[in-house]
Amino acid sequence: MKKFDTSVKKVDNEEKMAGLAIFTCDIRMDDAYFAVQVRSEKAHAKLKGIYVPKLPKDYYFISAKDIVKENVVNIIASDWPVFADKKVNYIGEAMGLIVGPDKGMCLYLASLCKGEYEELEPVFEMKNSYVHKEFTKGDVSKFKNAKKVFTEEFTTGYQEQVYLEPQAMLMYMENNQIVVKASMQCPFYIHKAIVRTLGCKESDVRVIQPAVGGAFGGKEHYPSLMAAQLATAIVKVKKPIKMFFDRKEDITYTTKRHPSKTKISAYMDAKNNIIGVKIHVGIDGGAYIGCSMVVLSRALIAATDVYTFENVDISGDAYCTNKVPSAAFRGFGSPQSIFAFELFINHLADYLKVDRMQLRMKYLVKQGDVTSTSGLFRDPIVLKELADKAMEMSDYKHKVKLYAKDKSFRGIGLSMFLHGCGFTGSGESDLIKAQLRIKKDKNGIVTFYTSQVDFGQGNRTTLKRIVSDTLEIPEDQVIYDAPDTNETLSTGPTAASRTIIIVGGLAAKAAAHLKQIWKDGEEQEIIEPYVGPSYIKWDEAKMQGDAYPGYAWGVNVVEVSVDPITYEVKIEGCWSTYDVGHAIDERILMGQADGGLAQALGWAYLEKEVAENGMFKQKTLADYSIPTTMDLPNMETELIDNPFKYGAFGAKGAGELTFVGGAPAFALALEQAIGRKVHDIPATPEYIMELLNHEN
Amino acid sequence: MIQHFVPTTLKEALKILDERDCYIFAGGTDLMVQKHRGSGLLPNFDKDILYVMNIKELDYIKTDAEGNLRIGAMNRYCELINSSLVPDIFKTVFKEIASPNIRNMATLVGNIGNASPAGDSLLPLNLFNARVVLSSVNGNREVLVEDFIQGVRKIDRQKNELITEVIVPKCDLNFYYRKIGSRKAETITKVSLMGGYKIEGGKIKDLRIVFGSISTKVVRNHFIEEKYQGKSVNELRARIDDIINEYDHELKPITDQRSTMEYRKKVAKNLLRDFLKQVK
Ligand SMILES: Cc1cc2nc3c(=O)[nH]c(=O)nc-3n(C[C@H](O)[C@H](O)[C@H](O)COP(=O)(O)OP(=O)(O)OC[C@H]3O[C@@H](n4cnc5c(N)ncnc54)[C@H](O)[C@@H]3O)c2cc1C
Repeated sequence: MKKFDTSVKKVDNEEKMAGLAIFTCDIRMDDAYFAVQVRSEKAHAKLKGIYVPKLPKDYYFISAKDIVKENVVNIIASDWPVFADKKVNYIGEAMGLIVGPDKGMCLYLASLCKGEYEELEPVFEMKNSYVHKEFTKGDVSKFKNAKKVFTEEFTTGYQEQVYLEPQAMLMYMENNQIVVKASMQCPFYIHKAIVRTLGCKESDVRVIQPAVGGAFGGKEHYPSLMAAQLATAIVKVKKPIKMFFDRKEDITYTTKRHPSKTKISAYMDAKNNIIGVKIHVGIDGGAYIGCSMVVLSRALIAATDVYTFENVDISGDAYCTNKVPSAAFRGFGSPQSIFAFELFINHLADYLKVDRMQLRMKYLVKQGDVTSTSGLFRDPIVLKELADKAMEMSDYKHKVKLYAKDKSFRGIGLSMFLHGCGFTGSGESDLIKAQLRIKKDKNGIVTFYTSQVDFGQGNRTTLKRIVSDTLEIPEDQVIYDAPDTNETLSTGPTAASRTIIIVGGLAAKAAAHLKQIWKDGEEQEIIEPYVGPSYIKWDEAKMQGDAYPGYAWGVNVVEVSVDPITYEVKIEGCWSTYDVGHAIDERILMGQADGGLAQALGWAYLEKEVAENGMFKQKTLADYSIPTTMDLPNMETELIDNPFKYGAFGAKGAGELTFVGGAPAFALALEQAIGRKVHDIPATPEYIMELLNHEN
Repeated sequence: MIQHFVPTTLKEALKILDERDCYIFAGGTDLMVQKHRGSGLLPNFDKDILYVMNIKELDYIKTDAEGNLRIGAMNRYCELINSSLVPDIFKTVFKEIASPNIRNMATLVGNIGNASPAGDSLLPLNLFNARVVLSSVNGNREVLVEDFIQGVRKIDRQKNELITEVIVPKCDLNFYYRKIGSRKAETITKVSLMGGYKIEGGKIKDLRIVFGSISTKVVRNHFIEEKYQGKSVNELRARIDDIINEYDHELKPITDQRSTMEYRKKVAKNLLRDFLKQVK
């Protein structure tokens, strides 16, 4: 396995550097029609009808009336309609499509279409829960014996994914199949969405992945909506159809990270020991539930972060508001609750007048501890070592004392965090049921298929290495192409940091299997099913048991300075340590480390997206700022090897982990720099000015 | 059908402008954004377009006999940043405008023509008492940039006039400049301040202060500036709070998607204080 300690050139480097990679918009199909959404202008209203102008020849209006089978997008909750029917629930909700040969004409016609509304009272605040979850650990009745209670509230804002390539989809008919090429994360989600709304056979639909320019969760669900809409249209129009979003449309109308509001109380006995904690996490789900219940689950499971308490009371709600639905985004709920808890435990130490790090260390999770959902942390935990290493790299101990004393507007913060890899509980074995197809021809050329999308993160390279190294054959003897549902069995979505830990493990197993039965000169094929660790038992209704097959761990240290004249923050340094099991390709991992932390810092202090009366105020990248290289220092990252026995070559997940700790580390650094407590992000200069205007 | 004109001489250009109502297109970095209709679609120009970037006569950076810097309408930020004739403070400003790729296309004159409250080059132009030269078939006239820009996208230009030149008088001051955006690069100004001063024999010989993104146009108050001319440095420093108060009614920022009124006003005052504290 020595080979894995080297980094290789990513297989897509050259085509992307040279501009040769073919993205959805690059696919030429000259007879294709364009589709443009006709969108609701009201946040909440009865839809009495839709005025459509007289359409020129070859132009179509497609709406709920044209639905073939079911007016539902196949996203977990199945509550989001393909086209609004009788009611609109957010500004921008699609009431129909204008489809026709000229995009400019489509846009013009769509602008003339008008809903006939009877307005209803919209709700923009988090008050109407549509998903509630709760669970406890230990004996929460002990809370009433507490001598002290400390309570705080935290909020986090929206975040836009800002993938380089906006949403794009092309659909056409070929060999009696509906063929989809799109910017996507999950080919089989799109596939299922079409089959469900049309009520057709699975073999009637084919999804092929072209080059994809970033996703971050934003292409997990929204493409299913686009696919269901275009499929409805193609049945009537019988022409290839494309729907490409411009950046402004993408920012204004597609799914984002859930804003959150978390309330935490700690209960202490007379000796300041923590009897237990009570946490409530609220997330703003927007107009439709979509996947919000799963995001909420993850937020709740991670709510005590890397600390163990005997008695825990955790609950949460996803709230329905008349705004664009929130959905998947790197971290999937846990960055919100971990941000809150990391700040809380530090503030609690101040309240109890004890050393912050000492309090954190006292409750730090150890191998064998019971998780908040009463599962077990089975595997070795090297968090203490990660923290020590990060402190050493950053000179943390010295700086944290130094900046506490002087009024230099400088601060340093350290966060510790974890990320459960793969789907929650037994989801991998019960719901996803991945199957990986691998075959070899007479000449010994091996081809394998997964439904994993490489949207830049590098899994095309890594999965291929896993197979060639297991088989001990050169990489050019292995063919591994982007997913095509005509060839590929589902190995599940490209989400939840599951690609390497789950699919990588499966690929290694399939390759080992093939190696075992290898016969030279023969064609051979295997279909390898995923079998999860048998100890994973999970009850989703009660939220009890082992939430994840494995956990990845991390520590971030962030140092900042604040300009007292302009309240601007400068990130002075970032140091990180991670346990991702065993890193198969360290350079690819460093890409995740730098990118994840940069994105997390953006969420923490730059990226402000607010909805006013149900409409986002920041609609362009001129107004929604993400960090540039000029805003970030060189980031130093080190890994501690801690191989995971069920992952491929010891690997666990890394894609989301690198996002989780940036915001709390930043906020802790900022607190020290300005001598004020932070409870809300993004901590923009405007917010920092407010904080400085008031005493703690 | 709109028509596109690509004249190569000024004479031709002025004739076209005299005959028809045209968009004047320099680097296009404002116009193309304003007229954008969507990917894959032609921009939304509803009038003829006159392109000025092929008029070789308008491509120069030179100093005249009186020591004024003269910049032709064709000159882009990338050229100005590399010219030895352009004062350093202008270069500091230009380097914080947009990104290298935009600076390779965008012109200084375009920034004036666009008349945005967030136009960054308008600060030094205003502070230096720069003038624009407007040319038409009827001849030339000169206007102070300060007067030429009348409000948000409002300029003192007749339909047949072309801005052909910017004249920047010599101005030997100590400068202060801060542009505050939402991030460190490629950012639109939330608030900015440029100050300039000169001291001779312990007395203020010259004091100039301009604010950006704080009102519908660059804010400059000559009355306040002149009031402190001839005063001693110590007196000025003793009256910093008074000066900040004097500017209070001039600073009329708005709350929008990029920042708040409160922040802009407070930071503008902080910057003013920071500048005045440096006068010594
Ligand atoms: C990504 C991006 C970032 C940006 N960042 C900044 C920034 O940080 N700071 C900043 O100030 N600006 C910024 N801008 C705006 C723009 O780049 C500047 O205003 C630039 O100076 C405009 O020059 P141009 O040559 O491209 O103008 P054009 O777009 O060609 O023209 C702008 C206006 O001036 C008029 N005009 C041009 N030439 C003449 C002439 N000779 N006579 C009369 N009228 C004329 C045009 O008709 C038009 O109304 C940015 C733009 C982009 C796209």
